Amino acid sequence: MTDVLRVQDLRVHYHTPSGPVRAVEGVTFSLKKGERLGLVGESGSGKSTTVLALLRMLKDPAKIEGGQVLLDDVDLLTLSDAEMRAARFARIALIPQGAMNSLNPVMRIKNQLGDTIKYHNGNLGRSEMTAKIQKLLESVGLDKGVADMYPHELSGGMKQRVCIAMGISLQPAVILADEPTSALDVVVQRQVMETLGKAQEEIGASLILVGHDMGLMAQFVHKIGVMYAGKLVEVGPVNDIFEEPLHPYTQLLIASLPSLEGKGVFKGIPGITPSLLNPPPGCAFHPRCPKVMDQCKVKAPVFQEVRPGRWVSCHLY
Amino acid sequence: MTALLEARNVSKTFGAGLFNKKHTVALQSASLTLSDERPSITAIAGESGSGKTTLARILLGITQPTSGDILYKGQALSKLDRATWKTFRREVQAVFQDPFEVYNPFYNVDHVLTTPISKFYPNAGHAETRQIMEDALRSVGLRPEETLGRYPHQLSGGQRQRIMVARALLLKPRIIVADEPVSMVDASLRATILESLLNVHKQFNISLIYITHDLTTAYQLSENIMMMYQGAVVETGDVDLVIKQSQHPYTQLLVDSIPLPNPKLQWGQRDFTQRTQSNGAGPNLGCRFADRCPHVMSICREKLPPLYQTDERRSVACYLYKDAPVAEVAVAA
Repeated sequence: MTDVLRVQDLRVHYHTPSGPVRAVEGVTFSLKKGERLGLVGESGSGKSTTVLALLRMLKDPAKIEGGQVLLDDVDLLTLSDAEMRAARFARIALIPQGAMNSLNPVMRIKNQLGDTIKYHNGNLGRSEMTAKIQKLLESVGLDKGVADMYPHELSGGMKQRVCIAMGISLQPAVILADEPTSALDVVVQRQVMETLGKAQEEIGASLILVGHDMGLMAQFVHKIGVMYAGKLVEVGPVNDIFEEPLHPYTQLLIASLPSLEGKGVFKGIPGITPSLLNPPPGCAFHPRCPKVMDQCKVKAPVFQEVRPGRWVSCHLY
Repeated sequence: MTALLEARNVSKTFGAGLFNKKHTVALQSASLTLSDERPSITAIAGESGSGKTTLARILLGITQPTSGDILYKGQALSKLDRATWKTFRREVQAVFQDPFEVYNPFYNVDHVLTTPISKFYPNAGHAETRQIMEDALRSVGLRPEETLGRYPHQLSGGQRQRIMVARALLLKPRIIVADEPVSMVDASLRATILESLLNVHKQFNISLIYITHDLTTAYQLSENIMMMYQGAVVETGDVDLVIKQSQHPYTQLLVDSIPLPNPKLQWGQRDFTQRTQSNGAGPNLGCRFADRCPHVMSICREKLPPLYQTDERRSVACYLYKDAPVAEVAVAA
């Protein structure tokens, strides 16, 4: 199958008074049609910055320093601002983190949903628009009466579903979901994720899920990308990553997960995340790595395919 | 046997303010006993709005219950004299959720450690104070020379949260109440914080009350668990029984919704009701879960079910088990 989205050597720096912070440094991955990719990593590993860069929604002092974001062979980074505005939502849509704060509190839901549709499709007739909004709300499991409500009348899970409805309203090719359920309870989280999965499959879009909950990833995505200090350190199919993680960081991450098997054993990852202002030389993980070798301290490993479908950046391979 | 800390049918009602005439029952006759003889770890679990934090604050003496009593070594908290109150304050310590908000950014982190020392050990000299601080930091796995003298923004969330555990330790407490201590730190650091809590429990014989919405860590850490839903205790007892062989339909739903970190164990083993959460505004007569329950019966909407003792070490508030005897004590840890 062909790749819908190809990201190549994407680099984003935040220009601060103390120097550039290399938030995203050479990220490369691709996404097939209908595929779900999970981007995981600690806070500050660059996962949200990557997603915002794909949408070109970064604000100062962040700047895209280089790379390509090819969506159906069109490089989004070379589009004009107007072209990019037309592509957002229609070709590549964002479902933001914290739905609580992303809806306008003084606008009815139908007007907020209608705004997006109007911008891209021009003015539809009133009845046509109402029908479209009702269909959208139904597709995310909401009552059509929600259209006339204000955000404060909805629960957190319902608001997040409205955001999903907005994300799929123009049937984009790629949906980016940035921790869409981090503020929700587990039961509601499951409902929302199931809704998102169903909606994504219906329109045949590809999806990138950003988060740090490995459990949610295991349940939802096909492929996982692990980020550390602004770089992808491992990409592979979800089953392989959980069964046989290759990168030492991924291995520690998987081992640290609490599960309902084995009690009272906690294995944390020693050390702390490096400063991106002044990253350690060589492999950024070497100060915390249990398998560190001499060359790790001087030479950065190359991100390469070590087995079919398994990409790792580590000197062990 | 006198219990170390006991909650007897505590309830808390908020509300009836100027504009909002509705009362919110945040907690409905919850009971809990911590033994004086054997240190234990008890988890209080539930979703947001289940009343778990309210219960924690009542146990800490920060919030007054509307009815019911908290007994500390057999004495009601509301009737403690000054000296005993101070002992209670020293022996029951708290670790809160947010490791960012509890620090004053203008003071270095020594401040949160020296304040309790000067309050409870007024005679400690400079060297002794330093020694107490260093010991406490070491027992949570922090290196004092890398921690003391720093400002909060120079430390990671995980380090700050471990300093809070160290602060609780300083005063050699009997009980630590930890309210969602790991919900705001990264997944990779959670394990380290829980590990230091567990070590503290083992090394210093401190009882823990671990409040959380995360059933996996509750299962890993605790011996007993109290499941709460909208202010009411729905299932309580031995953690293995409650999580692995849940009886209350709500516990079953929650356990079934945990995203397990194993791609081979997928969601959706059990029938899943799509109802949205009721907002608690309805009449508080029956079981709070009745609206979402797949096994709802007519009696569920009429009367709040009592806790039935279905097992030697577990009781459930559900009419499905009404043939079992009504439980006398909630958690006897």
